[in-house]
Amino acid sequence: MLSGVWVLLLSLLGSACTDDFLNEVPVGSLNPDVVLTTKSGFENYMTALHVAAREEFAGYDALHGHVTMNMGTDVGTPALPTYNFVDYNVTLTPTYQGVQYYWDWAYTRMLSRANTIITYAERPESSGIWATEAEKNAVIAEAKFFRAYTHNLLANLYGGVPVVEQIFSGPKTDFVRNTRKEVYESARKDLEFASQWLPKTVDKAREGRIVKAAADHLLAEVYISLGDYDKAIASASGVIDSGLYKLMTTRFGSDKDLPGDVFSDLFKDSNINRSSGNQETIYVLQVEDQTPGGTPGTGVIGSGTGGNHWLRAWGPFYANLRDPAGKSGMVLVDSMGRGVGWIRPTNYFLYDIWKSDFINDMRNSTYNIRRTFKYTNRASAYFGQTVGKLTAEVDTMQSLYPTIRKIEGKVGKTTDNTYGKTFKDYPVMRLAETYLLRAEAYLLKGDKQKAADDINVVRTRAKAKPAMASDMSLDYVLDERARELIVEEQRRRTLIRMGKLVERVRKYSIRASTRTTIQDKHALFPIPQSAMDANFSAKLEQNPGY
Amino acid sequence: MEKLRHRKTLVLALMKISLLQALLLPLFVGISYAHNAHGQEILEQKISLSLDEQRVKTVLQTIEKAAAVKFTYSPQLIPANQKLSITVRNEPLSSILTTLLKPLGVSYELLGRNIVLSRQLPATTRETTNNEAFLNGVSTPVADQLISGVVTDENKLGLPGVSVVIKGSGPSDRVRGTTTDADGKYRLSVPTDKPVMLAFSFVGYATQEVTVGQAQSVINITLLPDKKSLDEVVVVGYGTQSKRNVTGSVAKIDLGQIENTATTNLAQALRGRVAGVQFTDNGRPGQGGTILVRGQRSIAAGNNPLYIVDGIFFNGLLSDLNPNDIESMEVLKDASAAAIYGSRAANGVILITTKKGTTEKPTIRISTYYGVSDWSYRMKLLSPERYIQKTLDFRSQNGQEADPAKIESYLALSEVQNYREGKTIDPWKEISQEAGIQSYDLSVSGRSGRTNYYLSAGLVTEKGLIYNDNSKRASFRVNVENQITEWLKIGLNSTYANRNLSGQEASVYNAYWTSPYGKLYYDEAKTQPTQFPVPEDQLIGNPMYGLFNKNEEVNQNLFANFFALVQVPFLTGLSYRLNLSPNLRWSRNYNFNRQDPNRPAVNTTSASKFNQQNYDWVVENILTYDKQLNENNGFDVTLLYGRNHSQAESTSASASPLASDALGWNNLNLGQVQVTQSGGSVSDGISTMARFNYRFKNRYLATFTVRRDGSSVFAANNKYATFPSGALAWIISDEPFMKTVPVLNLLKLRLSYGSVGNQAINPYQSLALSSINQYVFGDGGSTSTGIFTSSMANKDLKWETTVAANAALDFDLFKGRIGGTVEYYTMNTRDLILRRALPTNTGFTSILSNLGATNNQGIELSLNTVNLRKNKFEWSSNLVFSSNKNKIVHIYNSDTNGDGREDDDLGNRWFIGKPVSVVYDYSFDGIYQQGESLPTGYKPGWVRVNDLNGDGKFDAANDRSVIGQIQPKLRWGITNVFRYGDLSLSVFVNAMQGWIQSLSVLDIRNAPTGAGNYPERPANMIDAGWWTPENPSTTRPGMSYTNPLGHNYYMSRDFVRIQDVSLSYEFPKPLLSRLKVSSLRVYASGRNLGTFTKWLGPDPESGYNSQGTFYPTPRTVTLGLNLSF
Repeated sequence: MLSGVWVLLLSLLGSACTDDFLNEVPVGSLNPDVVLTTKSGFENYMTALHVAAREEFAGYDALHGHVTMNMGTDVGTPALPTYNFVDYNVTLTPTYQGVQYYWDWAYTRMLSRANTIITYAERPESSGIWATEAEKNAVIAEAKFFRAYTHNLLANLYGGVPVVEQIFSGPKTDFVRNTRKEVYESARKDLEFASQWLPKTVDKAREGRIVKAAADHLLAEVYISLGDYDKAIASASGVIDSGLYKLMTTRFGSDKDLPGDVFSDLFKDSNINRSSGNQETIYVLQVEDQTPGGTPGTGVIGSGTGGNHWLRAWGPFYANLRDPAGKSGMVLVDSMGRGVGWIRPTNYFLYDIWKSDFINDMRNSTYNIRRTFKYTNRASAYFGQTVGKLTAEVDTMQSLYPTIRKIEGKVGKTTDNTYGKTFKDYPVMRLAETYLLRAEAYLLKGDKQKAADDINVVRTRAKAKPAMASDMSLDYVLDERARELIVEEQRRRTLIRMGKLVERVRKYSIRASTRTTIQDKHALFPIPQSAMDANFSAKLEQNPGY
Repeated sequence: MEKLRHRKTLVLALMKISLLQALLLPLFVGISYAHNAHGQEILEQKISLSLDEQRVKTVLQTIEKAAAVKFTYSPQLIPANQKLSITVRNEPLSSILTTLLKPLGVSYELLGRNIVLSRQLPATTRETTNNEAFLNGVSTPVADQLISGVVTDENKLGLPGVSVVIKGSGPSDRVRGTTTDADGKYRLSVPTDKPVMLAFSFVGYATQEVTVGQAQSVINITLLPDKKSLDEVVVVGYGTQSKRNVTGSVAKIDLGQIENTATTNLAQALRGRVAGVQFTDNGRPGQGGTILVRGQRSIAAGNNPLYIVDGIFFNGLLSDLNPNDIESMEVLKDASAAAIYGSRAANGVILITTKKGTTEKPTIRISTYYGVSDWSYRMKLLSPERYIQKTLDFRSQNGQEADPAKIESYLALSEVQNYREGKTIDPWKEISQEAGIQSYDLSVSGRSGRTNYYLSAGLVTEKGLIYNDNSKRASFRVNVENQITEWLKIGLNSTYANRNLSGQEASVYNAYWTSPYGKLYYDEAKTQPTQFPVPEDQLIGNPMYGLFNKNEEVNQNLFANFFALVQVPFLTGLSYRLNLSPNLRWSRNYNFNRQDPNRPAVNTTSASKFNQQNYDWVVENILTYDKQLNENNGFDVTLLYGRNHSQAESTSASASPLASDALGWNNLNLGQVQVTQSGGSVSDGISTMARFNYRFKNRYLATFTVRRDGSSVFAANNKYATFPSGALAWIISDEPFMKTVPVLNLLKLRLSYGSVGNQAINPYQSLALSSINQYVFGDGGSTSTGIFTSSMANKDLKWETTVAANAALDFDLFKGRIGGTVEYYTMNTRDLILRRALPTNTGFTSILSNLGATNNQGIELSLNTVNLRKNKFEWSSNLVFSSNKNKIVHIYNSDTNGDGREDDDLGNRWFIGKPVSVVYDYSFDGIYQQGESLPTGYKPGWVRVNDLNGDGKFDAANDRSVIGQIQPKLRWGITNVFRYGDLSLSVFVNAMQGWIQSLSVLDIRNAPTGAGNYPERPANMIDAGWWTPENPSTTRPGMSYTNPLGHNYYMSRDFVRIQDVSLSYEFPKPLLSRLKVSSLRVYASGRNLGTFTKWLGPDPESGYNSQGTFYPTPRTVTLGLNLSF
């Protein structure tokens, strides 16, 4: 009996080894091997890469997020004494969330998606997908643009970082830092390829996609970082001379018949894409109200609660303003929206840089910077009266200050004026900056006249007085960038890239504590502690001083 | 003397055999009254026997088989080991019994198919006279006091066959006694020359001893079932076993202890009651807590134990089961006991057995209770006065003007109005509701002919402490069993549960921050909530804004097990069981946000529907063979072949804004933007198992099991794994040499070793998967779908395996006065399924992998004592204690820095030699005071952390360390039961110690910890105090503290809690019988009556530590009634 039992047992145990019902075929999930076998699959992956790119600005709406790129610089100051960068030593540490945010965003969203597209597109198995080599290269080129964009951003912020140009199929914990130059070289290589294969223009339905000029524009910056000014000039010239772009000089777009000027037209809700007639726009991140995927949200899918966060970050906290009687002085109005006063523009930006052209520089017009306010609360005895001189710190730093009107936008379809976010596209690259990049390259090359010429193209459109060659310096370039690109520009990156952060913060920050606590080490972001901790098989060197 | 002892050994062995009879006795007593006519047929049936020099015991067993009867007897009074010979051919049973028993001085009585044996007595006195064969020739003294009475069971029914013995002072003393008759009556004469004590004993019941008073002539006794009896039957998985024969670690949960409490979830019955089992409640209505058996082994795979209901995998939630339907619950803790469930058993197994019909007469049972709940602890928020102080202190400490006279200019404008008018709100009060619990339960059970049935319906309604945090569960159960033929039984155990959690509850998240000067309603009647308590500062939403929203959340579970049991007719002991168990779970969660009438300019409507369906099935073929080879050798074998399958699918759809808000979520087509999502998954498994139990002399026991499981969730080459185990037990107290220790009733040593697995991961995790997002190119464009790789493949993903060794000692002293178990275990878990954080440079934040090894070691003690027993009073205690030490043994086996020590994984906070879940951070070293030298950028009132390496700097690399563990080191629970006659008081104290947890809201403000306090804004926060120059705290930072190091705040979660107190009264039987009621019990109980802890969060047990989870744990007082007739 016993032996019979064991025979039965063994046969049971042995019976279960070749059952294919244990093989897994996901019923509700895709994977790259399935998706990246058709053109449309690559299109899906490319879309996800654009989503990631939008998240640079819109993925993290907090004091540690995009605000980091302007708060505590020469143009923006923390509005409250409790905000970040009031004390550089306190804020900018390896555990600062903003430090980790950009790092993780770059590697897990941008580089991994870009590298997946590039790796799969280059696989021999993929050869049958595209009709021509050019078609395939255009896909690779767009992915390489983003890879370069990310590597360049990382090098700008952190210095040398691990260059990642592959996808990993298993854990790796021994990353080491490449030199900053090697990172820029990687970006250069990718952008040169991208410049060769990207389309020159895209149709309206594909606005937001990457065009050749975007690669050339970025390449100009990368060449400057590599010290190759001639190539930087050539790249920028490729954009400027392409015949496709010009600085706008006449009113256009949705609000052209309303009071305003051409500079204010550039930033109206529907005027940012090229199809609006805006011919200086090169690369725009797309935001759309009430369409799934139109805004970066809290969830992966859905209309989300996101939008363009400029208004929240830069707009004064009007709601807190009291009239001289101590009563509520303001109600929220549509055009002003509901700021929460995170970044207060510095006096350097609000006053100093306009001194020579306060009246004539279009960028300082009332359509572009609002400097006078009226009490808007009908319940206030001061309704309709102009807000007088404010003295309390919180009033001048948070509740009310001259407001950059680029941030304003229309009220959403399901939101009211208290929403704090708009549904305006984010302009990332526009021709004015291409001129300023070329000016920088000329300047660094030593050709101040040509630098002044380029800057004057921008100034002339703004009806500002032309600059002289003798005025030319990196500081002048930075001043001009502030006048032209404030809010659009990720100022911290520019300052770090040009090696001017520490110097100019010491000079222009409003808060004494910010000015006195910034140290030389802060010229670069630290490497995030989390990245060093996880990479335990090799030491990821920290930046000096941290 | 020696002879007597030897006899007792055999008697103990007999006790086991007679166990079943004893348990069934009350049942058959009932039958006999109803069906007396059949008795004669049984006695008249003719059987043949031929036995030579066999023990009485063996003869009786032979008759049992031949005549299909059961003998019930009290072993002390029957000469079971006396040898005799008998040969009869086709004689009536009655005459055989007479022939056999009369010479032994034993009489019999037929009760149903049960034959109760007792000492033969003269018809009048039934007093025991000398029986030389049995009582060893001791003569009887003169009886000079006659005692009589009735012995009844817990149901007040007369208990036949109870041994009533005059307690002697030693073996040489005279032993006298009798047994009760069919009505439970007895008469006995006792000497009067000294105080006499009578002992009433019956198998399966607790022995009672009573001192005979002067001139006392009537002593009535009620015996109570001895739940601690080592002869109870326990469910061991794929069968049952006498607890005595169990080799593994099986803990039976005494459900009697929870009958008098408002228990809505079976898991609550585990809290502090079973050594090594940790239950933590989440305090919310209708929801389960978490159960950990012997600590946390796994990190990323599940730590939930496996639930087996009536022998079958149960994938639902414990909250789907009605505790009133449950007969017993067992926890399998060690590898040997659990290994039969192989791949799923690593976290322990909980076996749940539902009720069956037990009496011929239908039993109708009604249970109900009603309770009211209140906050046991209210997390302290700033009072209006403290809120003002916070505002001032924050300003002054951050260099702003802080003139108390100007406070109005520091508050938000809308706050100012309330401040002037003295209108304040208490946020916790605002989100509270009248909380309580009601339960109604009705069941009918019984057995008739070949059918055994149990039907029940239950309804429990709970209202939580938070507005609209409600639960309603309706549950139904049908258990039916039918003996189709002598060899085939089929049956069905099924349950349906409907758990309704509908209602948009108030937001504890927002309540935490709600300013005491905020405004929650436009109107006095509180029907029109504002969107924000402080409208100009939109940071904090109104916690009651959900008044506008509707929610319907219903979870349904239909679970059944169809089974067939074949007793193979031609081979006694061989049986085959087929289980087929489908389980369908479906749930819906619908939400609708109405148009806010106070915000007419904005369309605030949206609606969503979520539907999910899970379908599982299990098929099992189980073959068992039980054989007693001879008197000394017996074995049983169990073989299993099974398949299981799970599938899940879900759909969600949402729409916003809606063109009309008239239809709620019923017509999502009204939405301007419509979003749908769906998903699905399938997983499969296959199992084979063999178990072999061997018994030698009934005191040397061995169990060997091996299980092989295949699961689809692992990588292609790692689908299968095999889990062997073995266990040995030795009943030391049955050894002849142990008989010299009379106080020792049982001493049993158990040793086991084996491996179990963990497969509790979601499907497809060994594969690289893609996720989906969306983008819109161009203005006014349509949505484009983005797809991206969201997880890294792991082609090596395999089982997590735990190899465990267990050593235990079961003991029972002084006839059950002290009993218990001491247990030691060590468990090594390898190939842990871990979600391991990756350097993000890889493109992924983490990957599910098999890594490293952990070890859990622990000691568990269960102790049951009867501390005092005098007349009607009894005080008994139950203590469970367990300590678990958990550590990481290996992670990656790498030593990159060459220091000869394996690398820690700092990113994941995994450290060699430390527990799996630790706190690694800077450690607190007080507060910088004024005048002290400060680090650059620091101010007085800031936190000073320990500079571990003494270099004068605070840096992450050198000054952080492991400062505590997140799982408790010790757990204990003590239940004291005081019983006086029909009145019983039970007090249960529960404790967990040696754990800490972060409570980041202790940070002054929204610092890198993400604590999210906003002292500069019109928002409330926890009032744990803060440093001020005037009141320089040494434990709390000041209002200027920005926490530049990003450290967190930790507190001990240690607690001791008066968990359950219950007072119950059992109405006396005579009163009830007049009302035709068979039992009636009323009780009052209190849960969570007092907690001793330093934890400042809402509750140390739930451990809730962030704003969104600050749910209070209720204190509930309940009145209940259990009625049966």
